[in-house]
Amino acid sequence: MDNTEPTPENHHQERVQKYIDDTLAGLLNAMSDANGRPSVTLRRRSGNVAFHINPNSGALETTDTGSLLTYSWPGKDCFEAWRFTITLRLLTAIADAFHAGLVVSKRDIYYSDPGCFGSQRVVDVLVDDIAYTIGVNRASLNVEAAAKGLVAGQYKLIHPSAHPTETRQYSESTLVPRIQETIEVDISDIEWILAVYRRLVGSGYHNTAAAGKGILITVSKHNPIPIPQALPSRPSSQGKGYPDYSTRAFIRKLFDAPSQSQPHRRPQFFALVDGDPDGLAILATYKYGSMAAAHENPQLNVRGLRCLGLHVSAVVAGADPCGDDALMRLTARDRKKIVTMLCRNPVFAVDGPELGWRVELQRMLMLNVKAEIEILYEREGGLEGWIDRRMEVLL
Amino acid sequence: MALRLFRSSASIPGQWSQLLQNASIAPHAFLRPAISLQIPGILSDIWESVLRAVPKKKTSHMKKRHRQMAGKALKDVKNLNTCSGCGQIKRAHTLCPHCVETHPSDIFSLAVTENQILSVSGASAIKVHSTKNPDFPLVQSIDGAHRAGCHHVVTDRKGSRAVSVGFGGEILVWSCQEGTWSKDDNVPAVDGRGLSDTWAVALSEDGQYLAGVSQDGHIRVWDLNGHAEQIRDYETKGSFGTCIDLSLDGRFIASGHENGSVHIFSTESGRMPFSLSGLVKPVRAVTFSPGGKFLAAAGDSKVIVLYDTSSGEQVASLTGHSAWILSLSWSYTGEYLLSSSFDGKVKVWSIDTKTCVATHSETEKAVWSVKWLPKVGRSEGFATGGASRSISFYREATGG
Repeated sequence: MDNTEPTPENHHQERVQKYIDDTLAGLLNAMSDANGRPSVTLRRRSGNVAFHINPNSGALETTDTGSLLTYSWPGKDCFEAWRFTITLRLLTAIADAFHAGLVVSKRDIYYSDPGCFGSQRVVDVLVDDIAYTIGVNRASLNVEAAAKGLVAGQYKLIHPSAHPTETRQYSESTLVPRIQETIEVDISDIEWILAVYRRLVGSGYHNTAAAGKGILITVSKHNPIPIPQALPSRPSSQGKGYPDYSTRAFIRKLFDAPSQSQPHRRPQFFALVDGDPDGLAILATYKYGSMAAAHENPQLNVRGLRCLGLHVSAVVAGADPCGDDALMRLTARDRKKIVTMLCRNPVFAVDGPELGWRVELQRMLMLNVKAEIEILYEREGGLEGWIDRRMEVLL
Repeated sequence: MALRLFRSSASIPGQWSQLLQNASIAPHAFLRPAISLQIPGILSDIWESVLRAVPKKKTSHMKKRHRQMAGKALKDVKNLNTCSGCGQIKRAHTLCPHCVETHPSDIFSLAVTENQILSVSGASAIKVHSTKNPDFPLVQSIDGAHRAGCHHVVTDRKGSRAVSVGFGGEILVWSCQEGTWSKDDNVPAVDGRGLSDTWAVALSEDGQYLAGVSQDGHIRVWDLNGHAEQIRDYETKGSFGTCIDLSLDGRFIASGHENGSVHIFSTESGRMPFSLSGLVKPVRAVTFSPGGKFLAAAGDSKVIVLYDTSSGEQVASLTGHSAWILSLSWSYTGEYLLSSSFDGKVKVWSIDTKTCVATHSETEKAVWSVKWLPKVGRSEGFATGGASRSISFYREATGG
């Protein structure tokens, strides 16, 4: 590694190394000095900024440069002291992982001292802030979210940098593999890739679909890894099937993968989401990126993704005389979320790229109903039959 | 269908089905007489015709031609002309689908004045078309009026004031000077209380009073000529208010709610003179007849219910739609009622006979709004707008 050219990854690692060394050294100096004021400064993405869609990459981006936050010790109040402490703890955890060459998950960091961090979300936000401050993505910090995604289907991972070239084939349902930049994927026989958040994996649909072999990616509602025993389980507020970093990175890798056998033919990318505001927000996250981590979107968005369903208007039109019960009323939170999406997210703007999605949101507001994928179970052929028919139309 | 019904009625679980099986020793021998004797009630009327049903004879070309010459066949569409905008062929009296992409999004609401029609959609602009000219040219487009789109627009009778409600919850008041609309600065912002969750609105005939129903079921009235103060606040049971209407004489306010209830308030006493029976499923449209004698309500139950406004009695129910009814409009004489549904059907009902006299199905997409146009000469007409994203105009010479 010493005599190789500095790849972006090496470059990132140097920056992380330098930042951690500088910060910790600075803190130690300040502590040993009688008049020193140990402090740490983070750059944070501001909350209320304008977003736009980059016409070249098709990703949701922002011009925001963030604002600077400084936490010092002992600080002016309890809150600042706490922030300083957890920032320091987090930096230590990252430094440890970095020196050992291991990857830690945000879960592991949180459960190392849940009482101190307070909630998983605090850790998540802080890790993102640190990555943003250094100017690298989170994977370069050797920190990643506990994988939420499950993959079912046949694909090969090739590590060309390993000696000898290591190839691993997957066909069973596994956790989303960690994607480094050096890995290549081979998905030669695959016709379609479907992201869905309800369990379809158990049915083996990826092998039996009418449209041919495919890959199913499930972002499950519940974390596939059980949390450590003896710790109180916390209901996750994010349990609606929003894709995490590693899932999005994996789908993007599949999307960029060159097809070896037939260069002109590529698999089709679909997403199946609920017909509610969260469903469309998930769709926008896959295709354009998230507003929370806009600086990573150009590496993660999947431009060619298409929506398989579920369209509320189609459900309403197809509702049989006694089937209206399958539809649910919007809650106040749903309506508020739709209005926020319409007003703030450029994906749903009037001059945005997805007028169809915008109208879908507005129809939900007009009719005050939403639909969940569960209603398809009762349709002819069940969920699988419905997906078969939809794919036939779209493929 | 018929056989399946019979089978399901026969397959009583357990002993009964076994008994039945044992009884039919030679099923083929007396299957038919057995059926003709023991037909379940629903089938008994149509069983004969089911047995006698044979494929229809194919209509010969000569027969078709004879019918056509006699004026009985489907008529060719001959009312075509060229669009003055883009030069392509289009049907007369409809907007050109090629060049007048009226709105890039679903049209959610229409409002008519003497000679104009206002339309709002999921896009941000309010479009104004003239109804004086048979080509219905676009006369004004108020761009960027509602950023998140707009779901309701209403006007007063003489066409001097309009009010639009956006998906973002904002209520805008517009005034018209010589056919041009502009934001009314004389009317201060409508009183803020309960404003953001107001959903449907209605304007009184003279444009002075604005009535709105909110998502928590409150009905509020504002005086736009004063300082847009809130002058009334009626409370209902808290179900989402989907639609509202003011009677022409301004004496009654009616609102429809998601739980199926329909409420009438007297504006003088501020009370409910009587409670209405309501519908089972969400109500999506309520409208008073021009004379104020009837109130029509419709929604997901696919039925239009007529109430007598003097007694609150339900006087008729009009059935025929097979999808959710989204909009209702009464003709200016009160003779006809217009309704549109989610499957794109537009129906005209005669109030005298309580029957459907015409059904239009130009589109299969939802028609969100229908409105009668003011009578010009002897002919009456109406406009429809919806998920097809263009406004269609109809002139009704005779029903049929």
